[in-house]
Amino acid sequence: MIGCYDFCAHYEWSFGWLEREGGHALVRDYWNEAINHDSQRHARELIEREGFAGMVKYWGHTLNEESPELGFAITHQPGVFRIDMHQCPSKGFLLRNGLEQYRDYCDHCMGWTGPMMREAGFVIDHEHNHRGQCWWEMRRADDRGGHAAPGSVSGQKDVRLGPDWRPPGTQLDRYIKATDPDKKTT
Amino acid sequence: MTVRRMSSSPTSDLPYTDTKPQGSADFYYATNATFRFILGRLGTDGWRRYLEDLGRDYYAPANARWRQGGLPAVARYWRAFFAAEPGAKVTVTEHADRVEVAVVECPAIKHLRAGGRDIVREYCQHCYHLGQSRAAAAGLTMRLAGGNGSCCHTFAPAAAGLAPQDLKAIADARS
Repeated sequence: MIGCYDFCAHYEWSFGWLEREGGHALVRDYWNEAINHDSQRHARELIEREGFAGMVKYWGHTLNEESPELGFAITHQPGVFRIDMHQCPSKGFLLRNGLEQYRDYCDHCMGWTGPMMREAGFVIDHEHNHRGQCWWEMRRADDRGGHAAPGSVSGQKDVRLGPDWRPPGTQLDRYIKATDPDKKTT
Repeated sequence: MTVRRMSSSPTSDLPYTDTKPQGSADFYYATNATFRFILGRLGTDGWRRYLEDLGRDYYAPANARWRQGGLPAVARYWRAFFAAEPGAKVTVTEHADRVEVAVVECPAIKHLRAGGRDIVREYCQHCYHLGQSRAAAAGLTMRLAGGNGSCCHTFAPAAAGLAPQDLKAIADARS
């Protein structure tokens, strides 16, 4: 039986398998069709219906369940919803167990939340450091804001203020008002 | 470029360990959706190949322990496995010539139903395709009977000569 305890690990393994079977396009389709439109349909429906309030409900529940030690912070201010992930439970599992089958596991988050946000009328500013830390800001697509200065939205909870955010040699992947997993700069 | 690094935990009966004692049951939604996606895009043969590759490759560290430790290692694995799956009601019995895993209440089927999910009809077959792939890698054989919420998995040495698997003996999953 495929279990949920080590889900993140066989999920990550599956990205590599799908890419070998059908190339990058199949992996993108998997994130959108299987995760966004099927597995996480409850998130999509909630956020399409309730917008920012739906994000607070969805990620408040999901991150509490996946990361009960609260290695994250969520912040909602007028016009922006922000997540600061200090210890990603998913990437952390892979790092602790030395698992890497796909070139950038972290891309899967934009792979399914990007299309979900686009369909709901939002865009994403995001960075991840490949060390289990990232931040996300969701705004309405017609909002002019984006990539707020460190600390300006979530204060001291901003992951970019921590000493582990960008040690020497760290590669940051950055998205600006994006909804496409391939629209990143490094 | 595909990179791979694999390790296994020396202190647990599971190859990969988390800081939490149990997983999040909502991930069963993603497994069910993954099956639907692969079946739709690659067909039954592709889905079966996915499970067989997963069994040989991803589970290689656990399979190696089964090969080395035999049936006692198989029993220890399944006890630890189901202890980490929320909502599982399972009895693992170690006989001299086989290990029987009696799933009284499958945690995945239970959660998928509770969540109102459309369960892939072939869902229960995945335990056979995956389990047999893993067993073969360890010099064992796996058979499955039942399904749709409760079932019995049997693991025995390949030389035991278990009857061939009848896929019709595996019930379709129903939502």
